[in-house]
Amino acid sequence: MTRALVLACAAALGTSSPSLAAQRWQVSLGAASGLEKVRSRTDSLRELLSGDVFTGEAVVTRSRLAFRLRYGQGHVTADTGTVMARDVAEGEALLGYTARPWLTLWFGPHARTYGTTFGDQRWLFWSGQVSARGSLFPGRVDTFVELWQGFAGRVSRPASSASGRGGEAGLQLRHPSGRLWGRFAYRVEQGRVGARRETVEAVTVTVGYVPIR
Amino acid sequence: MRRVVALLAAAWLAALVAPRGAGAQSAADVLAQGVRAYQDLEFDGAAGLLRRSLAFQGSDALPAAGAARALIYLAATELFRNRRDSAAAAAQRLVLLDPRFRPDELVFPPQVLALYEGVRRATPAVTAHAPADTSIRPGVDAFAVRLYASTFHDVSATLGAEAGGGRVVRTLYAGPIGDSLALTWNGLDSSGARPPDGRYTLTVTSLDRERRVVRVLRLPIELAQPSVDTLPHPAPPADSLLRPERQPLGPALRALAPGALAGVAIVVLPAVVASREDASGARFVVGGTVTIAGIAAFISHHPGRSIPGNAAHNRALRDDWRRAVDDVTRRNAQRLREVRMRIRAGTPLLLTPEGP
Repeated sequence: MTRALVLACAAALGTSSPSLAAQRWQVSLGAASGLEKVRSRTDSLRELLSGDVFTGEAVVTRSRLAFRLRYGQGHVTADTGTVMARDVAEGEALLGYTARPWLTLWFGPHARTYGTTFGDQRWLFWSGQVSARGSLFPGRVDTFVELWQGFAGRVSRPASSASGRGGEAGLQLRHPSGRLWGRFAYRVEQGRVGARRETVEAVTVTVGYVPIR
Repeated sequence: MRRVVALLAAAWLAALVAPRGAGAQSAADVLAQGVRAYQDLEFDGAAGLLRRSLAFQGSDALPAAGAARALIYLAATELFRNRRDSAAAAAQRLVLLDPRFRPDELVFPPQVLALYEGVRRATPAVTAHAPADTSIRPGVDAFAVRLYASTFHDVSATLGAEAGGGRVVRTLYAGPIGDSLALTWNGLDSSGARPPDGRYTLTVTSLDRERRVVRVLRLPIELAQPSVDTLPHPAPPADSLLRPERQPLGPALRALAPGALAGVAIVVLPAVVASREDASGARFVVGGTVTIAGIAAFISHHPGRSIPGNAAHNRALRDDWRRAVDDVTRRNAQRLREVRMRIRAGTPLLLTPEGP
């Protein structure tokens, strides 16, 4: 998938549209609530935890460039068995380039931390991301699909390099005023260290506001 | 002696100088001699002279009026020679030559008049008088041919094309004829179109009481029309000017596609990102929602629904075009009406078909 992402980014950069050149600053803020399921799996261990995660995000856009900051925090508990509950903190800081009105390329760190009584486990990926959107009701309802691939990743405990990828897709609604917006999305991502896989699934509902446009 | 020689020389010289024709008799002279012989009751001599006058051929032949005069005198002469059959034959020849001919009641005795009248009534025939060179506006004017009949009988008149093997272009008349009949042709064929230039024949067929063909009159006709510059018909409105009269399917499909694709993407996302992992059913909820939104977007475009405003716009364009076509058609028809058809008629030829 890494190669496909790189090729898509190159193609998008090569065919970038000039129509977006003269745009002003735009700031968008959002708050999300999501139900998250975390699966930890090794050859001999399987853990399933779920819980709520609350996320805040800010997107700053000017011309073709965009900057997105997301931070979420929550708590997941075991659905079955005696698996220890975890605090979850996740975030990303991505720099984006809008190659086409419907296509944006992102690059930046993607991090996730699980906190238990035994200490924290941090996952960090430098990722590239492709985000595409299509209009159902122009200016009102859009769909979007995002895929990211970690180019370099590390996990803190046990300290090791890691790989990861993820994606998110859903529906985004916009109020006619252009200020208020909402999002209903499904997200899945997976980090790998050796035989261990940490998979996160989430369904999120986001409400946003555009203070500057 | 010298005087005698001089007289002989003068006579010989005069004979040389005198015109050669003075010695030969013309058909008119012979006819005049025959008439005088008839009037002198020298019927045998009259018959010979009259036949001689009719025997002249080519440019020496009697004109039609002279021939008619010779024939009526011949018929009368043969009657008085008690050769009734010969008299009837001469009278019939006269009827065929000129169906309109009527003998002078002051010149010929009643028995001659009766003979001729009997032959005329028994010999249905027509002749045609047409202007030698005329022009008409087809469909507006008419080309007139006057038919003269020897006696009351039925005729049929058709116009046929020589090029088409005599194909009938137009039937002009079918019915009885008394003394005469005005035959008119408006210059159009049976379908109302102008026949092409060329040679045609006006054929008048005389029928007896048993409706057998007894005589056929052929009048050659030549048609010529100058070419006409007509206006081209305007082209129909270009597709680029016409607006869609129904909501197109394209925008609806373009609205449906992102929803359907995103819905499918959500369902397959776990398989792409986290293979060998059991994904929850939550993705179906989100994917289904997105797909339903796409379907709603598709329906909101009302694909196939008529657009009354565009239909009215297109109707107005098409009506304008039809009006322009009608106007050109009318102007072309006007131009064609104004073009005159030249008609040249030849000499009529009367044929008597052989009996069974």
